[in-house]
Amino acid sequence: MRPIATRYARSGDVHIAYQVVGQGPIDLVFVPGFISNLDLHWEDEGYSRLLHRLSAFSRLILFDKRGTGLSDRVDAHALPSLETRMDDVRAVMDAVGSSRAAILGASEGAPMAILFAATYPERTRSLVLYGGYAQFHRWVMARDRLDAFIEAAATAWGTGATLAQFAPGRVDDSRFANWWARFERLSASPAAAAALARMNADIDVRGELARIRAPTLLIHRRNDARVNPDASRYLAQKIPGARLAEITGRDHPIWTGDVNRVADLVEEFLTGAHAAPDTERVLAALLVTRISDTARLGDRMWSERSLRFHETWRLLVGRHGGRVADQHGEMLVSRFDGPARAVRCAAALREAAQDIGIASAQGVHVGEVEMRGPLSGLAIRVAAQIADHAGRGGILASRLVADLAAGSGLRFIDAGRLPLDDLDEPLALVEATSEQHLEPACRSRAITVEPSTLTVRENEVVALIADGKSNAAIAAELSLSEHTVKRHVANILLKLDLPSRAAAAAFAARQAGPDGP
Amino acid sequence: MLATKEAVTGASIKKAIEGRDGKMLSSFYADDALVRVIDRNNPPSKPREIRGRAAITTFWDDICSRAMTHRVDTTIAQGDSLAFSQACAYPDGTKVFCAAMLELKDGKIARQTVVQAWDE
Repeated sequence: MRPIATRYARSGDVHIAYQVVGQGPIDLVFVPGFISNLDLHWEDEGYSRLLHRLSAFSRLILFDKRGTGLSDRVDAHALPSLETRMDDVRAVMDAVGSSRAAILGASEGAPMAILFAATYPERTRSLVLYGGYAQFHRWVMARDRLDAFIEAAATAWGTGATLAQFAPGRVDDSRFANWWARFERLSASPAAAAALARMNADIDVRGELARIRAPTLLIHRRNDARVNPDASRYLAQKIPGARLAEITGRDHPIWTGDVNRVADLVEEFLTGAHAAPDTERVLAALLVTRISDTARLGDRMWSERSLRFHETWRLLVGRHGGRVADQHGEMLVSRFDGPARAVRCAAALREAAQDIGIASAQGVHVGEVEMRGPLSGLAIRVAAQIADHAGRGGILASRLVADLAAGSGLRFIDAGRLPLDDLDEPLALVEATSEQHLEPACRSRAITVEPSTLTVRENEVVALIADGKSNAAIAAELSLSEHTVKRHVANILLKLDLPSRAAAAAFAARQAGPDGP
Repeated sequence: MLATKEAVTGASIKKAIEGRDGKMLSSFYADDALVRVIDRNNPPSKPREIRGRAAITTFWDDICSRAMTHRVDTTIAQGDSLAFSQACAYPDGTKVFCAAMLELKDGKIARQTVVQAWDE
């Protein structure tokens, strides 16, 4: 793709940088939040995806507010008012020949979009506000916390230190964290950032809401880390006829989290049509392997062992028919055509990690990924979070992996549910246990679990297993349903890290003292 | 339903497009008309489809709200078929060229296919 042309519109004496992309019939102006940089947006996978999605059905008009990104710098001690910045939207629309446009305001861009819609109703085709608010102190940050935020932001500006306050879910994503730091540096100088933050704190457009006449859609993530979702609920009450779509997620920037969900909502609202299915995605089994230095090896030894593991990882992934996809420090990502291969590779990697003397924790998930470009997106984030949840030496997988691997000979036990910001429902997990014929090879981990980690009821069940009783017999004896007994057995095997009932019986026999197991 | 004041001819289409008259353009279409747009984002196997006069009215309202110039160069009529080419320019210099093929039924546009290319 050819680079997107950046042009400049004159707004008074100031040059406002803008880009136009897409060939759709609707003009759509994107009003960015706190800071922006037109060139940098295309370098982030999520941002670029958002812009591609929106420009597939519109003529998308992008700009950097004065004082930010590629637009003219302004005196950081005399930043323009919200009204002046709003007028920059009009200047850009005039430059591109847009008499009437849909306005999409994200975060701090929302109050600007509100002001525009109230001031220029004839130029506002429709209004979409994402993660927006009408007054800063009430819904974003209380007055007493503002000075500390500005002080911290100004001191550490350019290091990406603000990321945790905007997208806590991406803090561990080192590539994104690096991009965020550049985003800070290339979007505003430290003094401008502090001044912008102070100016945003004065935002209060509550009085404008009733004047909005354009059809309005509000989108807000339910656990938004930056702007309280009550802000959009308030907007929904005050803007005539506005519709509110609350969606799952925690990360605040519109280009993070489930970007497709946001784009679907915007497209449907503006065109009346459902989003066309994305045909450039394929199903893949994803394996995320995290390694860590739990033995406190010291930097040098850890570095040697980590390097050795990376080499082994490449070898084993290839041997299992997979492809190494990505690695950021201690997180290694590989993809496979089928889930059974991914799980078998994970078992081999676990063994390799043990041999090398480092700790591993792995997550397997099946989901759609982009056919082209670097491996990223929802499925990979889910796999990474599953790996985060896995214990040392553990191989956790989504339930779907177990379902798809039926007949492969792999064995899984229930591992509960994991709530994830990106998903509506908690994700059902399973733990991959060793295949029977591999049992001795994979069972080198010493079991140090005490019987006291079992509940009273689980201790009763394990004692009865040791007596050789079936689930039905145990159920009858303890007045439980057979289903409940099965759950207890699964939990016992998980807690004791044992592969079978027989092993549990042996464990109980070993533990049996005068008072029983 | 708006009464068609002008018959659908090359001349009336030229007048409506060049005058950015969305209302007149919309009145040329049958209630169940279909407009298909083929461009870089909407390939021939999956064109953007705009169905029905209400959606087509919105489409032309959006297009005509743009402060741009349109010039209809060539119109060819043959029975119930009509074709024309159109050159457009935005104030920032971006040019768009379109070729459109129309099928008429009972004097209204029943089906239209637009192929467009943009400066990028």
